[in-house]
Amino acid sequence: MSSLTFAPAVPNRPRTLVIGSALATSGVLMFFGGLFALYFARRADAMAWGMEWFPEGAIRLPPGGMNMATMALSAITMMWAVYSVINDDRIHAYLAMTITAVMGVAMLNQTVFYFNDIALPIDHSEATTFLYVIVGAHMAMVLVGVLWLGLLLLRALGGQDTSRNRDLVSAAALYWYAAVAVYMVIWLGIYITK
Amino acid sequence: MTETAADTTRTGDDVPTALEAAVTTTDHLRIGRAWIASGVLFLVASLVAGLLVSLERMDLSGMAVFGDADSLFRFWSAYRVGIVLLAVVPVVIGLATAVAPLQVGASSVVFPRAAAFGFWVWALGAAITVAGFLIDGGLGTPGGTSRTDAVALTLLGLLMVIGGICCATVCILTTIVVGRTAGMTLSRVPLFVWSVLVAGSIWLVTLPVLAANAVLIYVDLASRSAVAFGAEDTIWEQLSWAFSHPQVYAFALPLVGIAGDIVPVAARRRHGSHQALLVLTALLGVLSFGAYAQAAFDVGTPIREQAIFVVEAFLVVPLVLLVLFGLVDTLWRGAGSRRTRMPAPLYLSVLSVLFLLAGTVLGALRAVAPLDLLERSTTGAQFTFTIGAALLAAMAGTLWWGDLIVGRVAPQGFGLASALAVAVGVELVAVSDMISGFMGLADFTGGDLSGAGYPGSGVNVLNTVAFVGSVHLLIGALGWLVTGVVRFKGARSLGDTWGGHTLEWTTETVEVTSESPLLDAAVEVGA
Repeated sequence: MSSLTFAPAVPNRPRTLVIGSALATSGVLMFFGGLFALYFARRADAMAWGMEWFPEGAIRLPPGGMNMATMALSAITMMWAVYSVINDDRIHAYLAMTITAVMGVAMLNQTVFYFNDIALPIDHSEATTFLYVIVGAHMAMVLVGVLWLGLLLLRALGGQDTSRNRDLVSAAALYWYAAVAVYMVIWLGIYITK
Repeated sequence: MTETAADTTRTGDDVPTALEAAVTTTDHLRIGRAWIASGVLFLVASLVAGLLVSLERMDLSGMAVFGDADSLFRFWSAYRVGIVLLAVVPVVIGLATAVAPLQVGASSVVFPRAAAFGFWVWALGAAITVAGFLIDGGLGTPGGTSRTDAVALTLLGLLMVIGGICCATVCILTTIVVGRTAGMTLSRVPLFVWSVLVAGSIWLVTLPVLAANAVLIYVDLASRSAVAFGAEDTIWEQLSWAFSHPQVYAFALPLVGIAGDIVPVAARRRHGSHQALLVLTALLGVLSFGAYAQAAFDVGTPIREQAIFVVEAFLVVPLVLLVLFGLVDTLWRGAGSRRTRMPAPLYLSVLSVLFLLAGTVLGALRAVAPLDLLERSTTGAQFTFTIGAALLAAMAGTLWWGDLIVGRVAPQGFGLASALAVAVGVELVAVSDMISGFMGLADFTGGDLSGAGYPGSGVNVLNTVAFVGSVHLLIGALGWLVTGVVRFKGARSLGDTWGGHTLEWTTETVEVTSESPLLDAAVEVGA
């Protein structure tokens, strides 16, 4: 007589990477929160005194809007990447991650081009110091995201990003959405309200 | 069924040297020891700066020690930054890295390599910060006579220090959130773990704001001509919020957890209401959020004269009183037991809560506008009481868990004597600064006292008392250092030193070699 034996159920794996990334991302968001709070406080003060904030015509909406559209689309492709990994659809996962990373690089490229084009000195005024610090910090954030996506792509090619092992993808997505959210504030606070 | 843990054994030529082991370790106890040892060393350095400032303040007419007010200011600000970010916080992080995982039933800290990376980034940043202060940099001067490149170097070091602290904090918080053993809900975690969770969360949302300030200053300073933030005479003004009320309470918050864990074991009684202490700690954490209290936000009414600042200052006092009441209640109920022990860490932890109470009362008084204490030396007194409280608690924590962290016993009497020297020092410095503040002495005084309107007021005598206090502080810190060194030579610990049967003494530590230690230590089902 034979009897069937079953191994005990594997306990739910704690989503360590996602929790850790969420905590780290919250720190990054607070960094930008600090910058934005200072930016808006000083801008409101300058406006109250009737002072010029950015030089007339220096900040143009189209480049900022194009970057915003790029980042918004990249958020969608990032969601697509997560969805594909959850469904073990490796081909679409490669495609989605690659498109997201390319959009990140495109955003960096557009920003560098735009700032070279306007050639606004960093020490022109308080506003321009803020502009370069905030936009520069966000570019660094996006660059980290692009590098992270590159790592994910390598892991995906090695078959390591699967529906059972998707925490790194989810963590990267969380970070990327935060980068998009930060850019949204830049777009509204700097490019639109100027 | 067999339990397997990550393979950590090495043989033959693979055995790392002591240096390799120290640099590449992923053992949370070893990383914790590195944080604590470095923190104590930087504490001594910070206290030397404080001692020199006290010495100069005894007679400012000649500037015999520093030569000019700007150099005095550099050391004065170095003392405040150093004792918080290079000493107290690192020691607390060290204790948390070593003890918190075991207290929640985890075999190690999660992301051990990131935890080690955090330490090395912090250590390098701390060294750069100290170098920046020593080469006429620091965080600006009232006279703007610093070397710009050295100020930039100090800011860079400060950014690395903040980055390292945040990295380590993320590892500890993640361990607490995901590494708890079955049945260990957040409402059942030990108070030290809870206080680290609350304080770490506050650090994680406030220190990046300090980093944002520092980046803004750095960029402005490094550009061709500073336009707003990089002017050297305003740098400290923009960063000082992190070293005064209410933010300073966030750095002292883990003392509630240290005292909260020591008292019930010593009293052999559970807390009357563990949940109440959890809630009080969380409320203290919320009230210690200080990133809003920046001079840069002073548009219209200064932040420190607004209702939120004043109300917050007053709300903290009853919360600390309630914490103290909870601890005394546990001790009181335990006093009837013959088994009650009164170990050295117990005295120190209760004393630390009393000092915190004194700090919060002074913080409340500073917020009373008619007293006009905001810019007086009461600010320094409040800082000394609060950070001194955290320091005492950290000393209590190292005495309490030292046997676990090092595996060897230390002379408790010597440790107690060192801590009492620190307590006397805190008392002398804080009380003399407090009285001087009520007499009108400014928080930073770089000029001749007699010329600044304090002739014959007794401020010079009080400054002499503060100097004596600074000597006590330094002696106590050196004693702490010696206690640690002696511990490494001491007899092996037999475990559960205090007989509390708490989880940290029974959880097995595993040095892991993977990024996912908790998963690697999972049970493997065998034939």
